[in-house]
Amino acid sequence: MAYDRKQGRHQVAQSSQPDYRLEVGRAEVPVGTPRGFVVLDPARAATLKAWTSTLIPASGRRPDAGSVGAAEYIDATVHLVPSIRPALLHAIDEVERLALAATGKTFAECGVEQREGVLRQFQSAGDRDAFSMVGDFTYEAYYGHPEVLAAIEADTGWRGSGPMKGSSMTAFDASRLERVRNLPRRYRAVAGRELKG
Amino acid sequence: MNRQPDADVLVIGSGAAGAAICSRLAGRGAKVVCLEQGDWVDRARLPKSHPDWEVRGRRYWAANPNVRRWPADYPVSSEGQDPIDVYMYNAVGGSQIGFAGNYWRMAPSDFRVQSLDDVGADWPFDYEELAPYYTLNEAEVGVAGLAGDPCGPPREPLPNPPAPIGRPGQLLVDAYEKLGWYWWPTEQAITTHAYRGRPACDNRGWCTFGCPQGSLSTADLTYWPGALKNGVELRTQARVREVVIGGDGKAIGARYYDQDGVVREVRAAVTVVACGGLGTPRLLLMSSSPSHPDGLANSSGLVGKNLMVHVQSFATGLFEEPVDGWNGTWGGTVSTRQFYETDPARDYVRGFIMSGCRGWSPLNLALQIAPWGSGHHQAFDERINHEISLYLCGEDLPEESNHVELDWGHLDGFGMPGVVTHHELNENSRRLGRDMIAHAHQVLEAAGAKSVRDFGLAPIWGWHLLGTAKMGEDPRTSVADRFNRAHDVPNLFIADGSSMPTSAGVNPSATIQALALRCADHIWESRRDYDSGLSSQMR
Repeated sequence: MAYDRKQGRHQVAQSSQPDYRLEVGRAEVPVGTPRGFVVLDPARAATLKAWTSTLIPASGRRPDAGSVGAAEYIDATVHLVPSIRPALLHAIDEVERLALAATGKTFAECGVEQREGVLRQFQSAGDRDAFSMVGDFTYEAYYGHPEVLAAIEADTGWRGSGPMKGSSMTAFDASRLERVRNLPRRYRAVAGRELKG
Repeated sequence: MNRQPDADVLVIGSGAAGAAICSRLAGRGAKVVCLEQGDWVDRARLPKSHPDWEVRGRRYWAANPNVRRWPADYPVSSEGQDPIDVYMYNAVGGSQIGFAGNYWRMAPSDFRVQSLDDVGADWPFDYEELAPYYTLNEAEVGVAGLAGDPCGPPREPLPNPPAPIGRPGQLLVDAYEKLGWYWWPTEQAITTHAYRGRPACDNRGWCTFGCPQGSLSTADLTYWPGALKNGVELRTQARVREVVIGGDGKAIGARYYDQDGVVREVRAAVTVVACGGLGTPRLLLMSSSPSHPDGLANSSGLVGKNLMVHVQSFATGLFEEPVDGWNGTWGGTVSTRQFYETDPARDYVRGFIMSGCRGWSPLNLALQIAPWGSGHHQAFDERINHEISLYLCGEDLPEESNHVELDWGHLDGFGMPGVVTHHELNENSRRLGRDMIAHAHQVLEAAGAKSVRDFGLAPIWGWHLLGTAKMGEDPRTSVADRFNRAHDVPNLFIADGSSMPTSAGVNPSATIQALALRCADHIWESRRDYDSGLSSQMR
């Protein structure tokens, strides 16, 4: 039944299946902090690490998502939010099953193209919400990581430290308003009165 | 036994409106108590104090209370054909703690929508009556901008110069000049110069993720320091259960749960409800009693009705050259009101603004457009630092069918109900929205964009929650009078965005705060109507 779920002392409107988008609000997991796995066993951790590295592979200066701790970030998140653990565990197991069926190898042992094929198969036929969850969390772990932001700045000029450090900018050049200042007024007066501020 | 009032004025809610009322009344000598269900924001925890600010913004700072779930938040469900993705904060400063700072005056015609365009409603007063309070508020807040925009009436110089517009702004100016359209630097509630003890903005951008610099004019930084200095007693973590009505039909004060869940009561000569477009109707409906069985101040049946949110979207242009889209206040470039007034040549009434923004931040952009797998970086690199966005905001007309009601099936941590919103864009809003998006494409293409993408009209972004306890002259068709006083309860005031009869087509914070100051002055000037029995200053 929809909208029947109670979350601690605060009831939240959501479907009977926990929605990770709502569940993660209370899970504060700093990005970039070194950490190990606390929920996933080594085999599942290896699968998830390979999964995240397939979602965002390395390119030039930029590392792959697995090497900046995306899988550990996901693990830490589900550690804080037990309600979404089942979806993650089932998804990892299903990806592993699909990899073995298609290649006879574990997902982590597969090549890039094989991994992408397995994930596409899972994305289309498996638990799409779980796939989105792993994807969203991977993107979070990746684009919040200082090493990634530094590489993006070097590659593209996008200054990831701007929101932390600020910058100086050239003041607005009011001379550009010359044409607009001289246009007729463009608002409707009310009841024929000339309104004053 | 009659109990002595605790205050001359009780204000419920410490957000944009509540803070302004508290400050104004205390500055004139009234004894004021304010109840706030949330708490002060720990500024060290503002997302932008941390390198992973985007991630923090999606979790504990999430604008949707169902995600964030701070202790003071209550459940919000969204229903209807165009359900609202509700964004609001319950904290000292209210939803301003997560706002972008865009700060507009409404136009004179916005106060006469029904008379001029035969839709919506008229306000019970004109622009010129609110104008002095806009000016007063702009000084308090330290607004940045330039007087002289031909799209609005003449006005005094603003306290701070406009924000630097950067490369995105320059490209948009070029476009507007090429098109021959009106444009003007966007006014913002940001101190671009050092102002009244607050530092100058240092262009960190992404203002909704908190401003560690303290230049974004949120109510916790603008009105509250002075209010506290003038003696306002601010009680945080105070979840109000009901406004209490005495046997004479007047408001006595309010009962609330303190942080330990113990019920307390504050009594005052005057009670002001300023809990926002959802919180105010929630409290009024929760305050039902034998004499007000359908909720307090609800003889019109309009408490909770006419919920408005604005017709909103973004359009994003992709440019060949880098645009330095990381640099500067998020909304601080230039805007146009070319299409703000009703034009008989168009197939809808009312209008919209288009406000230039910067580029999308890395995580946000990647989630929008970068597919997973081997094509990820190429798609990301094509757009990061090469995009400029236009924020589009149009008028959403009031409809009684768009409403908020109590949700007793989903309770907050103190056993009080959540709310359900019901919303559907009407045909006028849909036509306006389509035209707004089409014109945004035109601007970005004129600026040199090689392609433009837009966000359509879904989801409905619920930043601006308005109209649910509207002002008006007639008690049968409005909840509060022209001074925000409830028609049904002579010493109860409703003074926030819920009191706005129409939404206009601009961000509402400036109007909400100007209305609050005007309401405060009316309370002060009519103070002899209220027997506080407490403060000689109020007599």
